[in-house]
Amino acid sequence: MQAFKKYSLLLLFSVLLLATSVADMFVNSRQFSEMENRYLTQRPQFSLSQLFRNEYTPKYEAYINDQFVARDSWITLKSVSESALGKIENNGIVYGSNHHMFEDYRSTDERRLEQNINFINAYFEKYLGQSNFTAAIIPSSYAILDSLVPQGLQNVDQNKRIQEINSRVPSGVTVWDLFPAMKGAVQKADAEGIQDPVYYRTDHHWTTFGAYNAYQSFAQARGLKAVDWDSLGPLEHQVPDFYGSYYSKCKLYSAVPDTITYFDIPFQSIVIDGEEKPGLYDSSLWDKRDKHAAFLWGNNGVTVIKSQNNLNAQKGKTTRILLIKDSYGNSFAPFLTYSYDEVYVVDLRSMTEKMSDFMAAHSFDDVLLMYSFMNFASDTNISLLTE
Amino acid sequence: MVFSSILFLFRFLPVAFVAYYLTPAKLKNLTLLIVSLAFYSWGEVRYFPIMVSIILVNYFAGLLIEKWQEKQALRRAVLTVSVLFSVGFLAFFKYSNFLILNVNALAGTAIPYLEVTKNLPLGISFYTFQIMTYTIDVYLRKIDAEHNLINFGTFVVLFPQLIAGPIVKYTDIHKELHERTISLTDIQDGIALFILGLGSKVLLANSVGALWTQIEQIGFRQISTPLAWLGILAFTLQIYFDFSGYSLMAIGMGRAMGFHFPQNFNYPYVARSITEFWRRWHMTLSGWFREYLYFPLGGSRVGTARQYWNLFIVWAATGLWHGASWNFVLWGLYFFVLISCERLFLKRFLDKHRLFSHLYLILAVVLGWVLFAITDMNQMGLFLSRLFCYQGGDDWMFFLRNYAVILLLGAVMSTPWLRYFSDKHQKLARLLGVPFLLVVFLLSVAYLVDSTYNPFLYFRF
Repeated sequence: MQAFKKYSLLLLFSVLLLATSVADMFVNSRQFSEMENRYLTQRPQFSLSQLFRNEYTPKYEAYINDQFVARDSWITLKSVSESALGKIENNGIVYGSNHHMFEDYRSTDERRLEQNINFINAYFEKYLGQSNFTAAIIPSSYAILDSLVPQGLQNVDQNKRIQEINSRVPSGVTVWDLFPAMKGAVQKADAEGIQDPVYYRTDHHWTTFGAYNAYQSFAQARGLKAVDWDSLGPLEHQVPDFYGSYYSKCKLYSAVPDTITYFDIPFQSIVIDGEEKPGLYDSSLWDKRDKHAAFLWGNNGVTVIKSQNNLNAQKGKTTRILLIKDSYGNSFAPFLTYSYDEVYVVDLRSMTEKMSDFMAAHSFDDVLLMYSFMNFASDTNISLLTE
Repeated sequence: MVFSSILFLFRFLPVAFVAYYLTPAKLKNLTLLIVSLAFYSWGEVRYFPIMVSIILVNYFAGLLIEKWQEKQALRRAVLTVSVLFSVGFLAFFKYSNFLILNVNALAGTAIPYLEVTKNLPLGISFYTFQIMTYTIDVYLRKIDAEHNLINFGTFVVLFPQLIAGPIVKYTDIHKELHERTISLTDIQDGIALFILGLGSKVLLANSVGALWTQIEQIGFRQISTPLAWLGILAFTLQIYFDFSGYSLMAIGMGRAMGFHFPQNFNYPYVARSITEFWRRWHMTLSGWFREYLYFPLGGSRVGTARQYWNLFIVWAATGLWHGASWNFVLWGLYFFVLISCERLFLKRFLDKHRLFSHLYLILAVVLGWVLFAITDMNQMGLFLSRLFCYQGGDDWMFFLRNYAVILLLGAVMSTPWLRYFSDKHQKLARLLGVPFLLVVFLLSVAYLVDSTYNPFLYFRF
């Protein structure tokens, strides 16, 4: 007992170190981390040439780190400690008021942004006259919910940058400014006591309510009737416990999860990349971690939704819209069925068909190109528009 | 492999130490040599032969110098060759591209840079200096030559201090190399030092360091004056806890193996003059320069003008040792100027004014870190203008909120406060000491598992 007391640090430390090391060697490798929503590094293949280029050992160290015993608990321990130290940022995610998370986004890839502006303008100019074209850039949550952002966080001024992009769109293309629409949605929600936020707290996307408000503003801009929010009530479903992409990055132990709202909107058919699907959403994902990917079955190449919902239907006429989008469009597209007979949705990141072939094969009343600002400033697939 | 990694803590450390303790006393150095070579090769297998060649050259140089006891010319020749060989590799890898850069700039030539020297061999600045202490001291007849190659190799590649110091002189540990006792108390003290070092690096240095890195990413043009000050204060704490943390981990591991490495940091930021600061900061490096450069040049036993010339040489060399770039030379000469001023008149004034001397030291050191941290001269000028020409903005509010507690914690821990506290309340310290250390260890592991920022700052050294 006397010896134990005298050498307690030595004993406890040795036991801790050895037990953890041994446990770690016997723990099974995980493929995927639900908490971080990413694939974990697996044991790298050994090769002498990699070793001599100093490439093997960093991979092996990443593998040991990713597969460390009780990894998720260690991450939570760090998060608790960081909160105790009053930190309001981790891994590029900033904690604002009302449990809202935001990006630390102080600069953009100016070269990529410039290239993408040129690509969309080339696309518009190539097909101008074939259809009504509309361009829209969706601001991130920090740009709209500015009162919740911690003071002094000097992020990119998206309002200003979006105006710059809009001012360069060729004449003949409708510029649809989402800034007032999203600001208006926030005010409307406050004024009418609507519980749904416009953006998720723990995810970078807009909520279904945010997407609806955008849809309504778009329909108005096109002079079309839009479905009423309240009339959708009977179709509403809610999925609680959504931990989004911001959470996956910062892993804040005290994060307050979001609730996803979706509507069982009636449809005739939904065909994704040539395959008919049973519903607008991949309902198997509602109880998984990556819930947002349920909308429109994730980011697929070409999606075609046909329905009888169109409030503007005219006998003997089939109206058609093409939505070129990133993942923000997935919760937005279903609403379009209330304003068009057929809704075509294209995600360039997964599209296999050539854009010129696709445009030649179909005719559209409206083409809406809609990207979130951060995706628009970083996506490498926008060049596919001009092919 | 760096100490602050999961791989080191939960693979290398247990295997190396268990193997070491299980080996019989006579073979312990061999075990140490093998695990140390494995440690080095893991991070830098390509430059392994360079280290081996430097070891062999100095080993045989020692034997030859001893053999030619009476032949002064031959002894001197052997020493010269071995020193040139050791310093040659260091100079080649560290300074050849710097030299080319300057020749190109001065002569307008376009000599291409050497590809091979793009990466500095891991730890070369440390082990070259270490090994030279041996050969020079044998030449000066301070010690006998080492006949056992295993013992000699162990001295050079001893993994605790191989890549980031402290710079252990051969005379520091040559007795322990041959015979040492490993007591349980030593092991336990070693563990405590190791955990304190790990916590310094992982919990303090990495946390405050992220602030400085973020400010570099934003760009000095964009920042306000308060943020500039916040940033350089963060760097001031980062470099101290990073460096002293590595040293403490090394000293701790050495202690657990029965070695007593020299202290490397002694609360440098509480010094009251730059002269004193350098007796508390990276003590083994300043000690090395004093013993193997300043004294051989004549030290202070020469005329006044020559004394200052010697100081100038030592500080220019100290600057260059930290990196092959003019900002490091500038940084070294900055200290030459301050130390000269202190020698001439300032020291007497500082000694009399306690508060002023502390403020002077902090300001002088912090401004020194500006010269150290920013390698590009234009950027350095821009940053200095941000510090001294007021630029408004509220950007600092976010960073202050995010980092206030950790900066405060760092500031407190850079003073001997914790030591005073535990000396004063010995009973409490005994009670809380072990839980405190274990919590520090567990938190360090948690921060390493989820590390978003864990740099190794000494790749330039």
